[in-house]
This record gives sequence, structure tokens and C-alpha cells, in this order.
Amino acid sequence: MPKLSRSDWYDLARDTNWTFRYVTEEEVFPEELSGTHRVSTDGWLKWDEPYKIGYREYVHNQVTKDTTTYSLKNAIGRSKLFDQLDPGWKSVIVAHYGAISMPEYLASIGEARMGRFGRAAAWRNTATFGTLDEIRHGQIQTFFPYGLLDKEPRGDWALKAFHTNNWIVLAVRYLFDDMFVANDALSIALQLTFTLETGFTNLQFLGMAADAIDVGDLEFGALISSIQTDEARHAQQGEPTIKVLIENGEKEWGQFLIDHMFWRSWRIFALLTGLSMDYYTPLESRRMSFKEFIEDWVVKQFADQFRDYGLDFPWYWDEFINELTWYHHAIHLGVWNYRPTVWWNPDAGVSEAERLWLEEKYPGWNRDFGRHWDVITENVRNGDIAATLPETLPITCNLCQLPIVRAAGVIVGAHTDPAPLTHVHNGRKYLFCSEPCRWIFTQRPDRFAGHQSLIDRVLSGEISPPDLGTVLEYFGLSPEEQGQDADNYAWALNGNGTKG
Amino acid sequence: MALLPLTALFEGDVLELLIPVDDGDTVEAVTGAIAHHVVGRRVAKRDAPIRLRHHGNVLDPQVTIGSAGVGPLDHVEAFYA
Repeated sequence: MPKLSRSDWYDLARDTNWTFRYVTEEEVFPEELSGTHRVSTDGWLKWDEPYKIGYREYVHNQVTKDTTTYSLKNAIGRSKLFDQLDPGWKSVIVAHYGAISMPEYLASIGEARMGRFGRAAAWRNTATFGTLDEIRHGQIQTFFPYGLLDKEPRGDWALKAFHTNNWIVLAVRYLFDDMFVANDALSIALQLTFTLETGFTNLQFLGMAADAIDVGDLEFGALISSIQTDEARHAQQGEPTIKVLIENGEKEWGQFLIDHMFWRSWRIFALLTGLSMDYYTPLESRRMSFKEFIEDWVVKQFADQFRDYGLDFPWYWDEFINELTWYHHAIHLGVWNYRPTVWWNPDAGVSEAERLWLEEKYPGWNRDFGRHWDVITENVRNGDIAATLPETLPITCNLCQLPIVRAAGVIVGAHTDPAPLTHVHNGRKYLFCSEPCRWIFTQRPDRFAGHQSLIDRVLSGEISPPDLGTVLEYFGLSPEEQGQDADNYAWALNGNGTKG
Repeated sequence: MALLPLTALFEGDVLELLIPVDDGDTVEAVTGAIAHHVVGRRVAKRDAPIRLRHHGNVLDPQVTIGSAGVGPLDHVEAFYA
């Protein structure tokens, strides 16, 4: 029997839009879950995905990808490849699995919401494939680290992390709740697929896969490549969505949603990717600095998108560009100091050779951040490790949930005032690291007001007594799981400045 | 006498810290509590007195922090004078 080519049947099979007789449109697509009522039903019929695929092709592609990736895993599992990896790189993947595996699984909820409450059949169809993608990403990124358990027991944080209240998890979970778990279909399309996936993670996964191959981690490289190709497809739901909004005079709402989530994505990206690229990845494998990566890829990508759709750069763009030179360096200093509170081994990444690289990539790094590391290095050389560990908590931002490092902006001349920004809502005082974080909160305070930051949990007595031991227990970290310096301080102790 | 949680910075450091004090503690004691977490840890020791700033005003080291008008979660800055 001759088979029809895809273009002969695709539109007919895809466009299963029903005319409702027994229920209203509002009942089928409640605004709270759909978020699409700014545009009429007819307006949504123009939604058209740029990349088309049928179920048969989808399954064929996915099976091929899985077969390749799992075969590679089986072959490598019998080798000593993981043992030979640089400790800093191991930290990259252990941090990644804990922070990303469960969010990938949760993203299937976001995709499924678009698959049910997206207003166009074409959109629901694309999102259904996206749902299957994200289930696969959650499963494969949990399965792979479990294969490492005999070599790296903290591989189980791929599953465990999101069942704890670790401070990194508080930040990541709160972001993804906002972005897709507790979000409507339209906002998910613009905030998850258009902003995070197209703008940040799709590009990051390309870079990460290349870095993994470069450091000899073929397993992680194959895994990330297999995920990236899915991301590239389902991330395209944002484009037709913003197009429909703009064509129907709702550009301003789309712009607001993108501005909101671009900043939040930047914050988490600086934490996870900024530290990985500029401090954890072995020096010889660094192809570019985090700042260069953001400028060459993320900024360019967004500039093209904004131009193509007639959108404006977010109002805080200058602040974002400015932060590329300092924000993640300050966060790194904090994370390394608080290393027992994370489930990976932070790599200080400040051997003599690495400091030269940092100064070359970020002129002024030694003046602004090297002086802190000078004090820390001295303590390590004197054997006073206790002086390099914390005894109190950092203040965290009520929006991004990350430590407030605003003072670093003062040191580099980007801010004039180190004081956290504040806002009082219903008698409660909220603290923020930056103007955009405060702006996001104050635009829709009811969306954020009930959340308890780490500091709120300490002050309310939920974490009591607020000493480091209690905090570590609250974070779900046994002594064996707590992060240590990735290189066992070789960067400070070796006179020749190598990592050891 | 009551718990007074402060958000505090030692000038030159990058981390805003939670410093729980008692509102009956002197400004000098609060300054010392902040310095304890930073000086010799991320900011080099200096042979100079340390003072405390609140809303741009340098506080008298001898008064209590509560009577100096510092409220819960207020930002204070310790600095080498």
C-alpha cells in the first residue's frame, strides 16, 4: 500500500479543533490554566509550529537516540573513564544531575499543560511530543547518574535533591514552579520554551556536550547531545505563541512575561553554568569564558529573537550586561565558602594558572575578587581550614533565593549602594538582591508573597537552632554527602600553582 | 532584651550575612560579631578600629543596638575607620 507523504495528511490529522456545544470555551480552557484569553479562538488558529514531525517519525528518532546513548553507557560503564576525569568536571556533572534531572521530569507537567490547555490543536500536538521528551529527559538523567553510584554515591541526588530543602534546591524549585509547574500554558510557552530553552539551555547543552567530549566524558557528552536535539524541537513552541500574541495586539503582555523570566533564567544560569565554565571545568578544556559564552551565544540569540519579533530588550538589559563581569564570581566565592551545604565538591579554581586566565578574561578580577582568595589561600596554607568555613548564613533574596552579593557590584563600580533592596507587602518585609528581582515580585506580589526563603525559615524557627549542623541536616546532607574542596586544596598548597 | 536579626555587610566583602544579635548588645559587640565572620576569612586583617554604619550614620560604639534605632532585618555595614 503506498504511503502518503507527511505533508499530505499532517494538517488534517493535527488540526483536531472541536466546536464545543455542551460546554463553553471558558470551561474547556480556564484562564488560570490556559492563559490564552487575550486572543480570540480564531486568532489562535494561526498557531503553526516551524518544525513538524509525525508520531511514527518521533518514535523512530527517539529509539535511535536511546539505543545509541544506552549502548555507549554500557560500554563506558565497564571502563575506568569516570575515575580518570578531573575532579572539577565530576563536580559539574554531580551538580547538574541534582539540579536538573527532576526539573526535566517536572517540565513534562508544563508540556502536558500546554498539551491540554494550549488553545490551538497544532500547539497541543507539539506539546504532547514535548511531554514525552521531558519524561525521557527526567528518566535518562536519573538513570545515568545511578550507574555511577559505586564511583560517586551522590549520583543519587539526581532523585534526592528535589525531595530536600537544600538551599540550591529552594532556588531551583521556586524558579521552575514559577516557570512551568504552577504556570498557565501561554506563559509556559513564552517563559519555558521561548526564554529558557531557546535562549539559554539549548545553547548551553550544545556547549556542555562539546566540553564533555573535550574532557573525555563521552557518556555525559552523548547524554546531553541526545537531550539537546529534543530541546531544539520542542523549544519552538515559543515562536508561534509570541507571533500570535503580537498579531493580536498583545505584544506588551508577551514582553512582560519574557522580561520576567529572562532575569530569573539569568540568575540560575549564572549559578550553575557560570561556576562550571569559569571555575570547575579544567583549564585546558575551557574553550571560552562564561562571559564570552553569554555574549556570543545568549545575547546574540536574544538580539535576533527580539529583532525578528519586534520585541524590546528588557528594561534592565544594561544591568544584565554589567553583571556578566562580576555576579557569578561573587556567587562562586559564596558557594565555595559554603561548600558543606551543597551536594557536589566545589572547585575553588584559583590556582596560579587559573588566576592568570581569570584576569585575562575578566580584567580586574585579581583586584576585585583575587584579594578575597588571597586571604583564603593564606588560611589554607596555614592549615586553618576552619577559617575557610562559614559560621552563619548568607542573606538570600526573596525572589531568586540566591545569596545577596550586591556588595560585589559596589566593589566593581556597578552599584553605589550595597544594601539589599526591600519591599513591604501586607506588613511583611521582603529583601532582594537586585532591582529586577524586586520588580518581578512587585508586579504580581500575590504570586510570590507566601514563599519562605531560607532566612524566613530560620527566623520562623523552622530551622532551629540555626547553627550549621542543624542547617546541614535540614538540607538533607549527611557528612559523607557534604561538599568538600574538589582538589583537596592542591590549588593553594602546590607551590607551582598547578591543580595537583 | 530580644532577638534582633540583622542583615550585615563588612565593607570590602561580597556576602550579605545574617547576624542575629540581642537588641541589648552594644554597637561595639555587634560590630565584633560581624567582623568575626569576615575579617581574616575573606577580608584581610588591618590594625584599625572598626565602626558600624546604619542608614549612612556612623553609630556610637557604646550605645545598645536597639536604642540606636536599628530594626529587624535592617542593613548595617561594619567598616575600618
